[in-house]
Amino acid sequence: MNVLKFAWRNLWRQKRRTLITAFSIGFGVLLAVTFTGTGDYGYSNMINAGARMGLGHITIEPAGYNQAPSLDKRLKDTGALRQAVREMPGIDAVIVRIVGQAMFASARKTVSGMFLGIDPAQESPEQNLFLRSIIEGDIFSGTSGSAVVIGQKMAKKLDLRLGKKLIYTTTDAEGEIVSEIARVSAIFETGVDEIDGGMVLLPIDRLRSTLRYGPDEATLIAVTIHDERHALRLKKAIAERVGHPKREILSWQETQPDLAGIIALDRGGNYISQVLVGLLIAAGIFNTLLMSVMERKKEFGVMLAVGLSPANLFKLVVVESLWLALIGLLAGVIMTTPWYAYLYTIGIDLSGAMGDNYSAGGVLIDPIFKIKLYKESVAGILIGVFTLTILSGLYPAWRVARLPPVESLKTA
Amino acid sequence: MTSAILQLDAVTKTYLQGKVEVHAVDGLSLEIARGEFAALCGPSGSGKTTVLNLIGGLDVPTKGRVLLEGRDLSSLGRSALSSLRRDRIGFVFQAYNLIPVMTAYENAEFVLKLQGVPERECRERVMTILEEVGLQGLEQRRPDEMSGGQQQRVAIARAIVTHPAIVLADEPTANVDSATAEALLDLMEQLNQVEKVTFLFSTHDPRVMKRARRLIRLRDGQLEKDEVRV
Repeated sequence: MNVLKFAWRNLWRQKRRTLITAFSIGFGVLLAVTFTGTGDYGYSNMINAGARMGLGHITIEPAGYNQAPSLDKRLKDTGALRQAVREMPGIDAVIVRIVGQAMFASARKTVSGMFLGIDPAQESPEQNLFLRSIIEGDIFSGTSGSAVVIGQKMAKKLDLRLGKKLIYTTTDAEGEIVSEIARVSAIFETGVDEIDGGMVLLPIDRLRSTLRYGPDEATLIAVTIHDERHALRLKKAIAERVGHPKREILSWQETQPDLAGIIALDRGGNYISQVLVGLLIAAGIFNTLLMSVMERKKEFGVMLAVGLSPANLFKLVVVESLWLALIGLLAGVIMTTPWYAYLYTIGIDLSGAMGDNYSAGGVLIDPIFKIKLYKESVAGILIGVFTLTILSGLYPAWRVARLPPVESLKTA
Repeated sequence: MTSAILQLDAVTKTYLQGKVEVHAVDGLSLEIARGEFAALCGPSGSGKTTVLNLIGGLDVPTKGRVLLEGRDLSSLGRSALSSLRRDRIGFVFQAYNLIPVMTAYENAEFVLKLQGVPERECRERVMTILEEVGLQGLEQRRPDEMSGGQQQRVAIARAIVTHPAIVLADEPTANVDSATAEALLDLMEQLNQVEKVTFLFSTHDPRVMKRARRLIRLRDGQLEKDEVRV
């Protein structure tokens, strides 16, 4: 009888125990899928939401702008740069923008905030979170008009409605104070207080003229990519293509260090939880396998007596744990599939527990708890659980292979 | 006596029981010739099973040497001892000790598979031996579907299917009724006479002692009497 068949039969001598162990492995898979899926979905969502709030996954900006943002630092030849980057594989959109700080005033009040000069022709709701979040009015159609889009909280603070006047004051490229009047054409609401209360969208050409920028100048080019996990690789590729001493190519981790920090911290906690759960489950599997081999000591003694080598006995027990791992993974797939399908498609609404502000690190987070697994994560979980089960079987296998046959034969 | 396949040369086996040394075997010297049908007998604690374990390479002597076909067992490592047991020694245990998840056929085939005997030859040898031990038609039964006597027959088949130099049988009739014991002894005697398989029993069953052609009586780990019968 070959070792696979022999080990398989041995495993089913204690059906109930094997099934309980298999389901505990399956439960481990379910937990690992939930933890990892939460991370994969949540981090990806936060990074993409952050990228769509102005800076992209990768930002091309004037050298030194990130350390000390200022409107006198500006990129030239943005049209050519945009064209060069757009053609690269893995790139979703390349959008030229002007970002700066200003004072915004209505007839009643003044508040400080940020402005984002955009060209609606380059933008889309998929690439721009503010456009996706418009709750009243319409985005300006041209780039040189005097329309403005503001957040709902700012509208409230300044007591503004659609069609009302807003005065913004900032410094131009030469450091001179400049002001413009604009009319509210739309109001957005993202759910992030600091964004809704402090962000304004302006037509880019009008802004260029106000700031005394050239027609092809801007503060940054925001690059969004298909898969945020490739940000560092694509940043390098972009730097190789359009790198210049007067420009900096930065990834979202550099332009949004708060978000990167939160994700790193959360990911670390997530890993620790997974390792602890893995160890707990491994301890259960280890216990089962050890018990299973210790109660067969006499039988193993007989096998050694009739000529089975210690190495083959070790192999037999390892193959038993291999089968257990495979059955456990199968149980895991059966248990996890409906759970994953539900959380992936429908999710659990946590908005009641989160209050009104759905943000972390200044970035919008989804109040619906959903999970999503990358292919690499699926492979990682399967390999991890499989390896853990095999490792749990190594000590019992080693111990049984070292048993002196005469001692084993004396076992009752 | 013909050529010796087994020699025990002043073998001593000492155990520690707490802090007290117990001499299970005490300076025993012995030779077993090819084709013998011999029995180690003596009261409980006389060292019979320990001697079988030492001969089978399952245990190591504290002093002295055990030579099987001229090879000193104490010079062999774990792996070499495994190979020696697999190829040259057959074991029959008191409690049958078949592998419960295997059928009669698979139990008898087990050691042949370890030896790497080709499938076809395995099948021929196993079917022949099962027929010889009277288990034709029961090949697919598992141990829990067979009587004690049938299980012991499978154990005998497993022990002799590889044509070992010697079969070591530790109280092989202890767990079966009289009729089965006689039938098993008939079988082993026949195998000894027809196949020339060497048998060494450890027993205090009078039926075995009556049939053995050589009785080696032990007392307190020492040879009390070595009696060859015609």
